[in-house]
Amino acid sequence: MDPLRIVIAGVGGQGTLLASRLIAEAAIKAGYPVKIGETYGMAQRGGPVMSHITIGEASSPQICPGDADVLLGFEEAESVRRGVTYLKRNGLALVNTRRMPPAEVVSGMVKYPNRDILIGLLSEVTNRIISFDATALAEEAGDPIATNMVMLGALCASGVLPFPEKVIINVLKWNLPQRYHSTNLKAFKLGQTAVQRQIDNNNR
Amino acid sequence: MSSLSITANDPGKIVLLMGNEAIARGAIEAGVSVAASYPGTPASEIGDTFSRIADKVRLYFEWSTNEKVAFEVAFGASMCGLRSIVSMKHVGLNVALDILNLASLRGVKGGLVIVSADDPSQHSSGQEQDNRWLAKMNCIPVLEPSTPQDAKELTAYAFELSEKVRLPVMVRTVTRLSHMRSDVSLGRINKSDKKAEFDWEGFSYRVAGFAKLFYREKELNEKLDLVREEFESLSFNMLKLNGDERLGIVGAGLSFNYVVDAVRRLGVENNVAYLKLSSSYPLPENLVGRLLETVDELLVVEEVDPFVELHVKGLAKDFNPSLKLYGRMNGCLPKEGELNQIIVGDAISNLLGVDIRRESRLVLEKKAREVLFERMLTLCAGCPHRATLYALKEAVREVKGDLKSVVVNGDIGCYGLGHAPPISFEDTYFCMGASIGVSQGMSQVGVDSIAFIGDGTFFHAGIPALINAVYNRHNIKVVVADNQVIAMTGFQPHPQSGRTAMGKPTKRIMIEDIAKACGVDHVEVVDPYSLGKAKEAFTRMLKTEGVAMVIARRICATEAVRSMRPNRPTPYVVDPDLCIGCRICMTTFGCPALTWIDDEKKAVIDKALCMGCGVCMQICPQEAIKGSKVS
Ligand SMILES: Cc1ncc(C[n+]2csc(CCOP(=O)(O)OP(=O)(O)O)c2C)c(N)n1
Ligand code: SF4
Ligand code: SF4
Repeated sequence: MDPLRIVIAGVGGQGTLLASRLIAEAAIKAGYPVKIGETYGMAQRGGPVMSHITIGEASSPQICPGDADVLLGFEEAESVRRGVTYLKRNGLALVNTRRMPPAEVVSGMVKYPNRDILIGLLSEVTNRIISFDATALAEEAGDPIATNMVMLGALCASGVLPFPEKVIINVLKWNLPQRYHSTNLKAFKLGQTAVQRQIDNNNR
Repeated sequence: MSSLSITANDPGKIVLLMGNEAIARGAIEAGVSVAASYPGTPASEIGDTFSRIADKVRLYFEWSTNEKVAFEVAFGASMCGLRSIVSMKHVGLNVALDILNLASLRGVKGGLVIVSADDPSQHSSGQEQDNRWLAKMNCIPVLEPSTPQDAKELTAYAFELSEKVRLPVMVRTVTRLSHMRSDVSLGRINKSDKKAEFDWEGFSYRVAGFAKLFYREKELNEKLDLVREEFESLSFNMLKLNGDERLGIVGAGLSFNYVVDAVRRLGVENNVAYLKLSSSYPLPENLVGRLLETVDELLVVEEVDPFVELHVKGLAKDFNPSLKLYGRMNGCLPKEGELNQIIVGDAISNLLGVDIRRESRLVLEKKAREVLFERMLTLCAGCPHRATLYALKEAVREVKGDLKSVVVNGDIGCYGLGHAPPISFEDTYFCMGASIGVSQGMSQVGVDSIAFIGDGTFFHAGIPALINAVYNRHNIKVVVADNQVIAMTGFQPHPQSGRTAMGKPTKRIMIEDIAKACGVDHVEVVDPYSLGKAKEAFTRMLKTEGVAMVIARRICATEAVRSMRPNRPTPYVVDPDLCIGCRICMTTFGCPALTWIDDEKKAVIDKALCMGCGVCMQICPQEAIKGSKVS
């Protein structure tokens, strides 16, 4: 198969690193070679983070601009920032609409652009944008920190992964402490349903 | 998860490992006995991994007080016949340089492996530094892995080589490899049951004789010849020649991946010959020579400096004088900064005259940049450094009037972000411990300055400088931002923490005790979460003649939350009836948990981010912020 390339975009502290590791562990379980390239430096929260995951044959850890099949965006502005660079033409964008404004925005020095402008930019690259408030779903599952599980569920439902849902669920159970299982699985399911519903609507 | 897979003695099992974890695993497979390190990005996870699993795999690991000491600990074990490894970020080797040279000159006994994690494009460093030069200068062989699998295997091989030629061996990784994760096939763990025994013949001049131990340059050069010979047929070096290619490419270490992907993408597999180079010093000259003889043009791809390229330029004189050489020296590749697939691909396509057909996003990216904010790094919500800097700034304003009347010499750590608005109260930073030294030069010539240093950095390199200040009667003020961990590199413990890297309880060495023992004239410890008291302490410090120190002690907020999981601190709240929307909390203090509701023109505290420190409450002039402080 051609490699599957996924770019995850988010903000430090959102659990993007864990999400990328779970996807990669699942790929290995399913028998694929896998690479993750990550950009992070400091311990502080709040900086931009990005993971590149390539499932299948490839050598470099980083994905080339314009090559990503999927953008998994954990935060609205970050999704657009990375999407315009990395997402391939008409690649799939899964976008959490929840915003995490940085200090400069909060203190009023700069403005957070409005949704139409942001999605408009992303639309110049693709018409396959699925956006939803993943953090609200995580809160519904019991903990906003489970946003990463919602996003994983969404990715699974989008049908792009070359392995079935149960592989990733098993990896998730295997890697996370028991006491977080019920919240995490609930979040995963909510993400799955949210995307499934949008896909069904589009197909109707 | 990785701690399970990384200790599995299950040869052939495929697990997901980060480059740094693979290096640690390689050392374990090679039966390493002693590992020592000092944290620093991008090397930290090597030590973090050892720290997690040392007990389980029965090796000794320590976070030493600095890289030189770490090196010496590893070298000591090596002189007694045991395998040891020392890892550090590139600039750590500057600190260890003094002993590095002697370790190669005198030789080693048990395999001694140095891992240098270089940082092309300085993602988390103050400089790009290519440590292959330091290795060459000190006659140390260099291995450069390309993948986590290679990293594991080359590390294990480095021990063998080190023992065989009795030289320390460097494994040189770079950020992209250290932080990359991929599937790695495990090998067998070889436990060492070797008994430690000092090698009297090898290292004691009482036994071996003074002259024999001291004049060893000739022996060293002979060793390097042996290594070069061995590298000529090293299986990790891979030469691919089809026969009639015009263009040859040498890809060293991680950057070889860019060559493979670019060649595949351009579909020019049959038009190029290449060498995957995993041993960049000493260069296997005949192996490289075979490539030079077959091609008219050669591109050298490597991370940071044209280290191999320069050597190849010399070699070409013997092997192919009409060779056209391309790389970082002639500008075919950028002279500085990290490479990637695109840069390497563009260079290859130019040289071969093939079209790349790549959609340009430059216009769209520019459009996006125009509307999107930059997301800067900031100190975390509740960070004690923010409170310390705020109180210090207030004290300086009060005592000196003008904030510009003192230079705040910062140091290396999270508090470096104190230069960012709205705090903006840090002027310089150089290398570990430099704040205390440079402040003395400034004060000597009559310029007021404050040294602002972290607890971790104080132990690493601050103490000799502090003693100098007392001894030479410099009139300096020192603030120790004591957040009780080495936070920036991943919350590692240090000599004041009371526990070792392997989690054993140990003596706490208190900074105030050190300061007093050094003869510092005035020492105080305060909690920066109490802004008023902290400001008073800084005021006293500023008014003291001589060497004065305030230790602002409060645990790093992120570490505090990590250790109280799954509980969380109780967040503070803004009373909307009292908040007048003046934004003073945001514009003077700027905790990222303070956010703004535009519709209501009021501040609000983000429940998920607030660490419950209560500092903003002390700043709000309307007393609109309520809550109770964490203990
Ligand atoms: C010679 C050297 N070794 C290691 C590092 C990596 N390093 C960067 S920041 C830092 C943390 C210092 O800890 P501390 O002073 O306690 O500051 P904190 O991050 O905890 O605020 C270290 C070790 C470095 N920059 N230089
Ligand atoms: S109490 Fe105030 S300053 Fe402290 S973390 Fe919460 S919002 Fe930030
Ligand atoms: S990691 Fe700790 S010391 Fe560093 S910015 Fe965050 S709270 Fe402050």
